[in-house]
Amino acid sequence: MNENSMSGVPAVRVSIESSCERQVQEVSLDGVETYVPPLSMSQNLAKLAQRIDFGQGSDSDEEDPNGQSRVSDWSKQDLEGEEGLVKFQPCSWPWDSVRNHLRSALTEMCVLHDMLSVIKEKKYMALDPVSQDPIVVKTPQVFQLISKKKSLATAGQLLLRGAEKLSKSVAESQEQWRQRDFNAELLHLRSQWKLRKVGDKILGDLSYRSAGSLFTHHGTFEVIKNTDIDLDKKIPDDYCPLNVQIPSDLEGSAYIKVSIQKQSADIGDLGTVNLFRKPPKAKPGSQVWHLKLEAAQNVLLCKEIFAQLSREAVQIKSHIPHIVVKNQIISQPFPGLQLSISLCHSTTDKKNQRASPDKTKPDDHLYVLEHNLHQLIREFHKQTLSSSVMPHPASAPFVPKRLRMAGPMAYDKSEISSLQHSEGLLEKIVKQAKHIFLRSRTARTIDSLASRIEDPQIQAHWSNINDVYESSVKVLITSQGYEQICKSIQLQLNIGVEQIRVVHRDGRVITLSHQEQELQDFLLSQMSQHQVHAVQQLAKVMGWHVLSFSNHVGLGAIESIGNASAITVASPNGAYAISVQRGNIDSKQ
Amino acid sequence: MGVTCVCQVPVVEGKSVQQTVEQLHKRLEQLGAVKQGSFFVDCETYHATANTGAQPSKLLYVMHNSETPLSCLALFDGGPTLAADANFDVLMVKLKSHFQNAKGHKVESRGARYRYADFLIKVGTVTMSSSARGISVEVEYSACVVPGDCWNLMKEFMQSFLGSSVPDLPSVFSSKAEGLFAPADCMDTMNQYLELFSKIRKQQVLPGSGVR
Repeated sequence: MNENSMSGVPAVRVSIESSCERQVQEVSLDGVETYVPPLSMSQNLAKLAQRIDFGQGSDSDEEDPNGQSRVSDWSKQDLEGEEGLVKFQPCSWPWDSVRNHLRSALTEMCVLHDMLSVIKEKKYMALDPVSQDPIVVKTPQVFQLISKKKSLATAGQLLLRGAEKLSKSVAESQEQWRQRDFNAELLHLRSQWKLRKVGDKILGDLSYRSAGSLFTHHGTFEVIKNTDIDLDKKIPDDYCPLNVQIPSDLEGSAYIKVSIQKQSADIGDLGTVNLFRKPPKAKPGSQVWHLKLEAAQNVLLCKEIFAQLSREAVQIKSHIPHIVVKNQIISQPFPGLQLSISLCHSTTDKKNQRASPDKTKPDDHLYVLEHNLHQLIREFHKQTLSSSVMPHPASAPFVPKRLRMAGPMAYDKSEISSLQHSEGLLEKIVKQAKHIFLRSRTARTIDSLASRIEDPQIQAHWSNINDVYESSVKVLITSQGYEQICKSIQLQLNIGVEQIRVVHRDGRVITLSHQEQELQDFLLSQMSQHQVHAVQQLAKVMGWHVLSFSNHVGLGAIESIGNASAITVASPNGAYAISVQRGNIDSKQ
Repeated sequence: MGVTCVCQVPVVEGKSVQQTVEQLHKRLEQLGAVKQGSFFVDCETYHATANTGAQPSKLLYVMHNSETPLSCLALFDGGPTLAADANFDVLMVKLKSHFQNAKGHKVESRGARYRYADFLIKVGTVTMSSSARGISVEVEYSACVVPGDCWNLMKEFMQSFLGSSVPDLPSVFSSKAEGLFAPADCMDTMNQYLELFSKIRKQQVLPGSGVR
């Protein structure tokens, strides 16, 4: 209920609502009160509207078709106005404003009614359609364009923002990659190499000590952070945040060269073997430091091999002393022949890359021996490693396992001495070199004989299963075209280190020395003997008579490679006789 | 290690042990054998002290042979045998409470070692508490490990320098299973030495056989 009309000035609006209490409709006998349900909004309105005394202003409410009566009405109201207000005030009629509004609405309606009636006459007023704005017609298209433009702009903006983000992340990742992670790299390094921290340095170990090497070189490298990179410039592809510093004497690349030469008369040129190889190409995916360390480790191993060999060369007493000059060890496996083992160490500097006159020489590397040297040193490492290996019986002495077994297994003297004695690296490699040389020369001798002598034929079948100290070849001597008639001679040549053992088909074993001439003589003798046998067989087939046949003509002891033999055959009618004799040089007819 | 035969050579009438040994050396050298250092075989006897049973305790013999320098061999009388490394001697000291060393029973045989092709001949003087008691001859044929296959050859060879005093096939070999591959080993040798030593120990001290 509005009470502000009392003061006239609506200062503060205070809305007062009826209390929530409901009216009691009925109280039943048992005391339960039945409430009157609250009025809904419309019911309330209706209730309130019922209270309006429309009769008060009924003159104004009643519509008069002519304006005159109305005017009189208004004047009549004005007359009574003074009185009405006084009467009206105390009753504090709440619907005053509603009435006023309704009233003004009525006025408006009256004006509209009047105007419409005037327009109806079409004398003083007329209704015209409002001219439509041409822009308003086009608006939809323009709006479309504008909206399209707007949405495109938004989309563009989004894209731009995305691109910006991407470029930022690329830049970030580059930055990260650059920073990368010295630590990640270090971790990677750590997984492959032994590292330890000393003070504020990180030191690594590339020696073979943990594998059993006794080489005294410390073989440490230092891990350093690569900071000398210009952040503004483009980063080179092979940039690595981690770098390793290897000892200066392990830089570059090195290899052991083993070769066998005919002895040179001039000894002044020794110790200057200087051959270089290109550094190996980097494998994709492997770090720079890894290659560097591997190369350094290889240099270290080569140095160790060479140091071991030269130590043995000085210690071992042989008939012909081994010579150690600078980076070369020279040994004489056979008279007139020299085995040279040299350490070739090239630093990567350009100045050493000059074309050396050595390069014109044929490549006389004995790669097999070089490989074997590496194998032997590793075997040597393994031996030293296994000598003090745990676990170990608490009661047993600290000796290699096999020697430890010597007591309980009751090894005798010879077995123990065979355990203790071990050949040095140099002895082994010299033996291998001897064998390789003997084998290649045997092959050459047989080949030259085969190419020189057409009849009888000589064939060599090399066994491809061989040992580092022994290999074998089967030699067949046949007469071409007469294989059915005369048996071929089969020889088994076992080539050892110092000598060749020939096993004849009849079981004889002949030992030949390393001299080339001996083998050649023996083979020639066998070939001539084959010829004599061939004549005998042929005579039988052709119906000739063998008058005499002797495997051993002449006097004296039987020579190891066989004596001279002779055969005499006569033609079937006895008119002709042929005598064939062979000495130890060649057959003559 | 091949087949080994150990036998005792009687001292020649009217000669000392030393002289007999020298005579054998001379014969071997005439045969073409080459002297290759010396050898020794020793044997110590231990009594088991903590013996609870009624039966008499077995004797434990701990032996060394210069042919197997890193080993120490322990044998019970006819019982199990053991090959150990040299630390076994130290262990025996620790086992003092169980095995008492019979001091006076130490026997050893020392002498020269000869090689004749595949044969290894050891002529030794057996001494017991520093008095020479007899002569042992060990012949080893190193090219064979099966006793039955080479016994005749060995016998013939031994006849060439021992004359009539050639022993029969040692009992350690004859007791081995027939037909099976049973290689001779160092234990057979030690058993033969042990047999010889106990035989010599039981002998009367030979008149005039002091070590000179």
